[in-house]
Amino acid sequence: MAAVISCTDLVKTFGPTRALDGLMLTVEPGEVHGFLGPNGSGKTVTLRTVLGLLRADGGSVRLFDADPWADAVELHRRLAYVPGDTNLWPNLTGGEIIDILGSLRGGLRDERRDELIDRFDLDPRKKARAYSKGNRQKVALVAALASDAELLLLDEPTSGLDPLMEAVFQDCIVEARARGCTVLLSSHILAEVERLCDRVTIIREGRTVETGTLADLRELTRTSFAVTTRRSPAALERLEGVHGFVIDGDEARFDVDTEAIDEVVAALAPLGVTALVSSPPTLEQLFLRQYSAGRSEHATPADSTLASPTP
Amino acid sequence: MSTLTGLGRMTRLVLRRDRVRLPVWIVGSSAFLVISALSLPPLYKDQASIDQYAALTRGNPALIAMAGPGYGMDDPNIGQILVNEVQLWGCILLALMSMFLVNRHTRAEEDVERADVLRSSVVGRHAPTAAALIAVTAAEAVVAVISAVGFVASGYAVTGSIALAASFLGLGIVFVGVTAVAAQISGTGRGALGLAGIVLGASFVLRALGDIGENALRWLSPLGWAQAVRAFAGEAFWTLGLCVGFGFGLVIAAFWLSTQRNLGSGLLPGRLGRSTAPQWMRSPVGLAFRLHRASIASWSIGIALFGAIYGSIANDIEEMIADNEIYADFLAQLQGASLVDSFLATSINLLALLATAYAISAALRIRTEEGSGRAEPILAGPIDRARWAMSHLIVAVVGTVLVMASAGFGLGLAYAFVSGDSSQVLRMVGAALVTVPAVLVIAGGTVALFGLLPRMALAAWGFLAVAVLVGIFGQLLRLPQWSRDLSPLSYVPGLPAEQMRILPLVMLTALAVALTAAGLVGLRVRDVRA
Repeated sequence: MAAVISCTDLVKTFGPTRALDGLMLTVEPGEVHGFLGPNGSGKTVTLRTVLGLLRADGGSVRLFDADPWADAVELHRRLAYVPGDTNLWPNLTGGEIIDILGSLRGGLRDERRDELIDRFDLDPRKKARAYSKGNRQKVALVAALASDAELLLLDEPTSGLDPLMEAVFQDCIVEARARGCTVLLSSHILAEVERLCDRVTIIREGRTVETGTLADLRELTRTSFAVTTRRSPAALERLEGVHGFVIDGDEARFDVDTEAIDEVVAALAPLGVTALVSSPPTLEQLFLRQYSAGRSEHATPADSTLASPTP
Repeated sequence: MSTLTGLGRMTRLVLRRDRVRLPVWIVGSSAFLVISALSLPPLYKDQASIDQYAALTRGNPALIAMAGPGYGMDDPNIGQILVNEVQLWGCILLALMSMFLVNRHTRAEEDVERADVLRSSVVGRHAPTAAALIAVTAAEAVVAVISAVGFVASGYAVTGSIALAASFLGLGIVFVGVTAVAAQISGTGRGALGLAGIVLGASFVLRALGDIGENALRWLSPLGWAQAVRAFAGEAFWTLGLCVGFGFGLVIAAFWLSTQRNLGSGLLPGRLGRSTAPQWMRSPVGLAFRLHRASIASWSIGIALFGAIYGSIANDIEEMIADNEIYADFLAQLQGASLVDSFLATSINLLALLATAYAISAALRIRTEEGSGRAEPILAGPIDRARWAMSHLIVAVVGTVLVMASAGFGLGLAYAFVSGDSSQVLRMVGAALVTVPAVLVIAGGTVALFGLLPRMALAAWGFLAVAVLVGIFGQLLRLPQWSRDLSPLSYVPGLPAEQMRILPLVMLTALAVALTAAGLVGLRVRDVRA
């Protein structure tokens, strides 16, 4: 089965700015795909190009194996989109807007609409101008989730939601996935990504820097070690794949590339280990490293080799 | 005073944000006032024509309602004609300037929650409002100074020119205060504008009633105070003190009211609405109609009232024109048509210019929808871009027809009333509708700009400026014929004074369609802007 979304070497320029610069993104049917990157890295531009609202300047973009620029109307029947910055008509009520957006998209399920309004604790009689950012976001979410779309394109849909509503949102995405819905979720909330996403793509400055399952990504990064040895561990610092080596009293702390772990452990054994703590990278570390690479010493040559897309 | 901390920086912010808007207001309104002043002396060259003008305006309730009480008309001079012709418009212009600009920097800022960001910084509670008031008042003072200089340069007496220009500023200051208070009472920027608009409308009506009846009602209206400065008729500057005092009083009241409410909400509570959308609203055209509805209704009512003003004086026109060749000339050199019909045709032309303003604003709604991102969820649905734009444009066309029909209805009804000929209602509605194709050409031009040169879409207002310049002042300023041909309205048969001709209407309609089509093609091949 063909990919739901497939962007290859996507380029989009705005005057002198290259918003997308060789972006790769593949979303497979039925998966929840996390789409991550620092602010201004091109996530929204990618989504708008996938929707055919923007025309790509280079590379190719396929949506349901068709060209979204040429066939926007037909393709849009199969998807629902929640923009990152939800702007609503100030003098219409939330309920009216949900119905209008739903009907324009080809109808929504009334019982699911009412259930979602209830679950998101939204007052549909209020005029949109009276809603807070979170409530405006809920209007857009209910309109999208109450449809029978095959694909949900969600651009930071939970910014502005409180933790309770965030949990409701996560439940809704799990249910959507169970219905067979494919989801592309742009998000900064790592717990949300960890719970929901089968695979993630991380972009920076319009380029894909990593893509894969979270387990894959964890393997591609470093494990932290803290060891106490009877003999001096100073020699470890010179090993390939050891980073950030510090000695603090009789404890040495350092990070090790995944492929160098075996070698490092072998080198540790003769030193007489009395204590050893190794911890896998946290998601935060993983993302911070990817987001800030190129801007700080955390950058590693590994980044460029990871940019190849998965099919 | 700590509530005004950061006033200087806030004022600079207002000036920075409006570095284009303020000059446009200043140049636009000063130019309108000065050009109007320039156009009068050629019309009233001698004392005899001035006396005749005075004789006609005195005691004519319709003219008094429209133009003012005519202080000093028993010993008339050209300055009083200037007062009669421009004072109310100048005052209303600056009142509108106050309403739009003050609201933009106060209540409207709260709507988009930018005010929160500012107020959370080291800025006093009243500083943003005070900054807007200072910047707007200063800009209006500039308009007053330019107008006064322009009047004097056009040959009007110095003291009278200053008094007249100061009366504009007086109204501006009153409405700075009115809008500041409205911004506290209403829960939204739009509502604040509505409240201030009601006050302006009430001021107009109160002084019209007071002027016609020569009674104290005029003293209940700030417009009445501004007129009572008696420019060119023994100036009484103290009445402007009422305007300034009232304006400042309202500003202080606004400061106090702002301490009685929460940022972001008004003193008037918001109302709840429907929890589901009715069926008719669930299509692109239905949604567009819902979004344009209020604007179509208010334009239709406003333009009908305007038409009624013209209709009510149509019967007196022969008397007014009798000995004034140039005025007759202005009404158009129409052989074989009666003066009344020429006047009605000219009135319809002016009303069509107003309707053009509506048509441009309605067509530009698609630009607002796109720029605000509200079009995005719709265009992300199975709605073709051209279909989305057409849904708004269809409503804009229907709106233009309704607005122009209302204009003709108001004109015809009032004229039927004063002439006792009830057939005039339908005749004027028909005559007014004939202008619709020309109005739509400018709306089509707006769509073409929007589709092909989206950054330039606001330049559509330039079409209106050209049409107004050549349509109203073309004859007076003796502009060359080619320049008058720039306005699509010049091709419309001037009903009821001229014969109906179908061909120009067909050509204009075709041009409007072609321009719209070009815009839609442009929209299809360009990026959707965020």
